[in-house]
Amino acid sequence: MTITRREFIRAMALKSAAVAAATMFPGISFAGWNPTDLPADSIVWSKTPCRFCGTGCGLLVGVSGQRAVAVKGDPNCSVNKGLCCIKGYHSIQILYGKDRFTTAYVRKNGKMVPTPIEEALDIVAEQMKASIEKNGKDSVSIYGSGQWSIPDGYAASKFFKGCIGTNNVEANARLCMASAVTGCLTSFGLDEPMGCYEDIDNADVFITWGNNMAEMHPVLFSRMLANRKSKTDVRIIDLTTRSTRSSLAADKSILFKPQSDLAIANAICYEIVKNNWVNQDFVANHVSFHKGKTNIGYGTEDHFAFSDKAETVDFEAFKIFLADYTPEAAEKISGVSAEDIKYLAALYGDPDKRVTSFWTMGMNQHTRGTWINNLVYNIHLLTGKISTPGNSPFSLTGQPSACGTVREVGTLTHKLPHGVVMNEENRKMAAKIWGVPETNIDPKPTYHTVEMFRALDRGDINFMWIQVTNPMVTMPNLKRYREGAQKDGRFIVVSEIYPTPTSDVADVILPSALWVEREGFFGNSERRTQHNDQLVPKPGEAMCNTWQLIQVARRMGFEKQFPWKEETYIEDIWNEYIKFHDSPKHRMASYKVLKERSGVQWPFVDGKETRWRYNGKYDPACKDDTWDFYGKPDHRAWVWLRPYEPAAESPDTEYPFWLNTGRVLEHWHTGSMTRRIPILHKAVPESYVEINPEDAKILGVVTGSKVKISSRRGAIVMKASINGRGNPPEGMVFVPFFDESYLINEVTLDAFCPISKQPDYKKCAVKLEKV
Amino acid sequence: MEKPDYKPQHKIGKLFLLFAMMGVIALPIIVFKAFSVSTGEALATANKAPSLDFDHNAGQLFGTYNTTTAAYMEGNSTARTLNYYYSLRQYPGSPPFVPHDSVVEKGVEQTCLSCHEKGGFVQAFDRFSPVTPHPQHTYCGQCHMKTVTQDLFRENDWTSVQVPKLGRSALAGSPPPIAHALQMRENCIACHVGPGTVVPIRVEHPMRGNCRQCHVPEETKSLFSRDDRG
Repeated sequence: MTITRREFIRAMALKSAAVAAATMFPGISFAGWNPTDLPADSIVWSKTPCRFCGTGCGLLVGVSGQRAVAVKGDPNCSVNKGLCCIKGYHSIQILYGKDRFTTAYVRKNGKMVPTPIEEALDIVAEQMKASIEKNGKDSVSIYGSGQWSIPDGYAASKFFKGCIGTNNVEANARLCMASAVTGCLTSFGLDEPMGCYEDIDNADVFITWGNNMAEMHPVLFSRMLANRKSKTDVRIIDLTTRSTRSSLAADKSILFKPQSDLAIANAICYEIVKNNWVNQDFVANHVSFHKGKTNIGYGTEDHFAFSDKAETVDFEAFKIFLADYTPEAAEKISGVSAEDIKYLAALYGDPDKRVTSFWTMGMNQHTRGTWINNLVYNIHLLTGKISTPGNSPFSLTGQPSACGTVREVGTLTHKLPHGVVMNEENRKMAAKIWGVPETNIDPKPTYHTVEMFRALDRGDINFMWIQVTNPMVTMPNLKRYREGAQKDGRFIVVSEIYPTPTSDVADVILPSALWVEREGFFGNSERRTQHNDQLVPKPGEAMCNTWQLIQVARRMGFEKQFPWKEETYIEDIWNEYIKFHDSPKHRMASYKVLKERSGVQWPFVDGKETRWRYNGKYDPACKDDTWDFYGKPDHRAWVWLRPYEPAAESPDTEYPFWLNTGRVLEHWHTGSMTRRIPILHKAVPESYVEINPEDAKILGVVTGSKVKISSRRGAIVMKASINGRGNPPEGMVFVPFFDESYLINEVTLDAFCPISKQPDYKKCAVKLEKV
Repeated sequence: MEKPDYKPQHKIGKLFLLFAMMGVIALPIIVFKAFSVSTGEALATANKAPSLDFDHNAGQLFGTYNTTTAAYMEGNSTARTLNYYYSLRQYPGSPPFVPHDSVVEKGVEQTCLSCHEKGGFVQAFDRFSPVTPHPQHTYCGQCHMKTVTQDLFRENDWTSVQVPKLGRSALAGSPPPIAHALQMRENCIACHVGPGTVVPIRVEHPMRGNCRQCHVPEETKSLFSRDDRG
């Protein structure tokens, strides 16, 4: 939808009134902003979800004239109740960077030439057709992200899977939460957390697993602090591999060696069983025990394939399995004292304490990511601390719609909006809703993200369309994939808002409309769908990503599948999409309801949101008013016997340090947006390497010294930070990945979890040299 | 038969008495505690009513008024200007950045609130500290940060509206309405009273604690209309 004529006239009227009254503050200069002639009270406030992380804060964006000029937290949004973080408060400044793409570019004789967007879209369609004719349908691919608005991902899936017939649809979320998905699917049979943010107000104990919430999910972190402040005995335990802001605020911070969380989780279960803290009733009625394959590899070689095989066992077998994980044995692996492990087990085991576990990338970006997800679920299942207020194993997401667009729409190679491509019933359903022959949908998944970029490098894929993500900063073992993308015979289309290392390798750049410049939906970590209207006009020829896909699909002859009008296509897509989820297990709110409210949680049944799934007291899909894990055929949650296995690459004499990578509060993802926000760049202008003070002494470096970090794959030189915001233990360094001038992913390893195919950005071996 | 010798055991008896007395004293305290701990909150939970401070956090304002001394209220310091106040912000109402150096990089709790919760003179900066209107939010680094450079990554075309105008009384001499949104800024005394405040927005009558008796937020620009059902 666009700004109407009436709104425009109103804005102009306000503007002229303001000009008359604009001389109230002669001589004042504002270092923070350049004031227009519009008065402060000309602002009109509208709701939208925040553009950045998966928390899904509700914002009120203030528009004056035709520009977004201010932000408030939305007090009606139950996520953040009116509070934002620094990125949210300044989020609207991402709209106004001077180097916005406002026109398309096409590479001609090696140079990017401004081109009318219709012509650029013609070229994209021609290139796709040519590639399919010459090399088959599996030579074209699309790579999106959890920043895709829901209609973007839906259009991409329908276009590629339904119309073209290739499963080459992947998203950056594969690098971000694929292990959380496989964790949920293997333990519960259905994806996404069972709990909700109200758990934060209800829990007595919080245990964060490798999760620096103070910087990554600050609004939820503050909600946790507020809970602790309002009650007498609320404890926050920070289980971490590096000391962070979250460690400082926690009641206890426990440092463990990378990868050893597997041993710790098993040892906690050992203690729970040993001390009879098992909730026998719950386990007898709602849990079954299973074991999978072991020694499952790391996926560092091309064409790596793995599929797990579940074998049903019993509680006795689980007890025998746990015998290897006494607290003392786990201490040897993890470096965490047996006493601390017993303390953790006692917190989980105390029947009077409500316990919430949080995790994000520490557990997901892990070569045994699926396993560690399973193991933390095991703890909650043994104690029956699940799906009740405050008892919640909770996987948080990093991107605003990782859940909404990737996990729910299913923009991954094996997924469909409902179910998977391998399942005939699911294919039939998709073909029917999409209006395509059932044979169009290929029953075989193709490439997961890492393998997709390997295929591009090998030449198995010739055409890749990248929307709303920056893989030329985020892919592990980056050098190989950048060089692959630039090889002859590859055609790269990038839909972007600003120049990035990814748009640098593009053959066509399509200017995208951003966030509140178009209508859309996000879905956050707690199953909440959030709608936003278009609030400000699009700059230049910028075009909504959904509309770009529709335009190219039509050019390729799929007018029938993409018939919608520009005025209503977002609403039309929503109405079509929710047909996929029309059951009490996943029903979604109507367009009208979503437009009115600051987010609605699914399953949305009979006008009621579901706060806790799998518990009949709250979830209408359960068969009675007790727990019912209906995602699994046996209606039980699955406890998995998953052992400790070492990391893909560990420090040795040649490369003696662990390399850990991540984010900082001020910058979101690769910084292509937040670095253009003046205040955020001024606060954290460049990346750095955090080194332990003892290691720094031995190396002879101080804060600001240049250090070369090298691995078997690549090297970068950057400034050291000692006793800065975070402090890694001896033998580990940490580098934030937001800075395109210091591409730390040239150093990281492309090993991944064989089940989820999510790479491990937290562990590889490096050496340090003073430069 | 001889009666057994029941000697009164004075020591044990005294010990019992002591315990009994402690119990007598402790019982009403426990009972009292149980019922007195935030009765309002307990009632609210029982009635399923939100325990929010419904009137723009008005309770906080009264609390601050009660704990602020008269001497502090009358304090005045001309070191800061309104212009400077706005220079720390990106738009009216945005969280200001931290303009001084001695910020602990960690940005959690006490370090900031030790000066900014109650205010007072800070020797190191030779001035009075401004007071936060929302000390209940303790993770300051979530929204406020220090800048370390003035350079930009890329130029930004950012503009925002004019600052709100002051003193727009409806009638000559009538109390002006509140010129900003109240959200996160409900505690009037924090910013409008005391020596840490900025002169143009400092009130002359700080001893009257119930600010919103006379100053009201301007929630809408439109006038009353019977047809307006919106």
